[in-house]
Amino acid sequence: MVNGYKPGSLQEALDIRSRTDAIPYAGGTDLMVRNQKGAVYLFLNDIEALKQITDDGDMIRIGAAVTFTRALENDLVPPLMKEALSQIAAPAIRNAGTFGGNLGNASDKADSVLAALALDGRVRLASAGGERTVRIEDFFVKRGETILRDDELIVEVLLPKSRCSLPFYYQKLGGRNALAISRVAFAGVYDVQDGVIRSISVAVIGEGKFTRYREAEAALIGRTAEEVKENAAACADSFIRNMTFTRGRVSAEYRRTVVRNLLTDYLTSLG
Amino acid sequence: MNGLCFWLNGKELCYDGSAGDRLLDVLRDKYDLKSVKCGCKEGECGACAVLIDGVLMNACCVAMGAVEGHEVLTVEGYRETERFKVLSKAFADLSAVQCGFCIPGMVLAAEALLRVKPHPTEEEVRRALSGNICRCTGYNAIVNAVLNAAKEGDGLW
Repeated sequence: MVNGYKPGSLQEALDIRSRTDAIPYAGGTDLMVRNQKGAVYLFLNDIEALKQITDDGDMIRIGAAVTFTRALENDLVPPLMKEALSQIAAPAIRNAGTFGGNLGNASDKADSVLAALALDGRVRLASAGGERTVRIEDFFVKRGETILRDDELIVEVLLPKSRCSLPFYYQKLGGRNALAISRVAFAGVYDVQDGVIRSISVAVIGEGKFTRYREAEAALIGRTAEEVKENAAACADSFIRNMTFTRGRVSAEYRRTVVRNLLTDYLTSLG
Repeated sequence: MNGLCFWLNGKELCYDGSAGDRLLDVLRDKYDLKSVKCGCKEGECGACAVLIDGVLMNACCVAMGAVEGHEVLTVEGYRETERFKVLSKAFADLSAVQCGFCIPGMVLAAEALLRVKPHPTEEEVRRALSGNICRCTGYNAIVNAVLNAAKEGDGLW
């Protein structure tokens, strides 16, 4: 193959990754938009080990080269993830786009990454010399930058099963229904038992980064859903205070207003 | 055989250019398959949609290395089928084609839908075509043509 590598196994791919500068290629939907003549790719799209969705008892494990369409067809993939995936772009993009690509592309508007973040997801990275598993928020540094080293590949996304079956809230706002990049998106997962909040997560697209609001989340645990509902605006404020929105196709003020409204709606819907 | 081998409209070929070349450019410039249109080169318009192993993809966002060992189908290959004839007639009957630029992509998106859902609802058709942009804005006629083809071609899919 001229200007490319197409390994048959993950081991072989990691070996090539350790000794060349070839760019990892999974679905191509983001990569090919900025394709340059002479670019050298490491094709991962036919590596079976990266195309599996499995349940190891604690985690749902989604391989880096699993496409969004395949995930939508799979019973192991949690409903929140499916809700997010179903609103990504359009069929031809969902048929090619992958979990690994959505992470590695390092866009701050990656919808599958948002869902994984709300589900306390992790990402497993491997190199020829070893592997590490990190939280989604620790993988993503900022737009265009992740902690992925030059000798590493993204292997899989891990979603804790304890979170996967909990009730969730998801809203995406784009410029239109299909083929829209999120201007704002919101994902949350919550566990309310006997009217008391046992756990709650909040994740948003609109800040230019992927992060969680651990203090604000922790402050809601142990309170009743009823009480939070009555004070939804104030509770929403405890999150908003820690957010800084980016200005792009829409203003930061627009994003703040939308997230405030979504937070209020989310907190009102608990229980 | 040298180069990067794949199936194109039923024939096995080996491409000796760069693995990073766009499938879209190679189909049009090397193999002269002009049904594959270049609209945006960003995966935003669906004019270059082809089927790879029966799955709809935008050829602008696929590198040649990714199709090695796979089957690519364009309208030039698809037009030999009965299914195409049914879709073609339905598009003609409903005057669903205006300038025609988006139509090859629309037809393959319709095929991709009908092969998994032979009797789709209107909503399912709209969703299946949601990545294919028509700037003559003839969407209603196109959606109706696909629904008609599903009816007329009952049993073909």
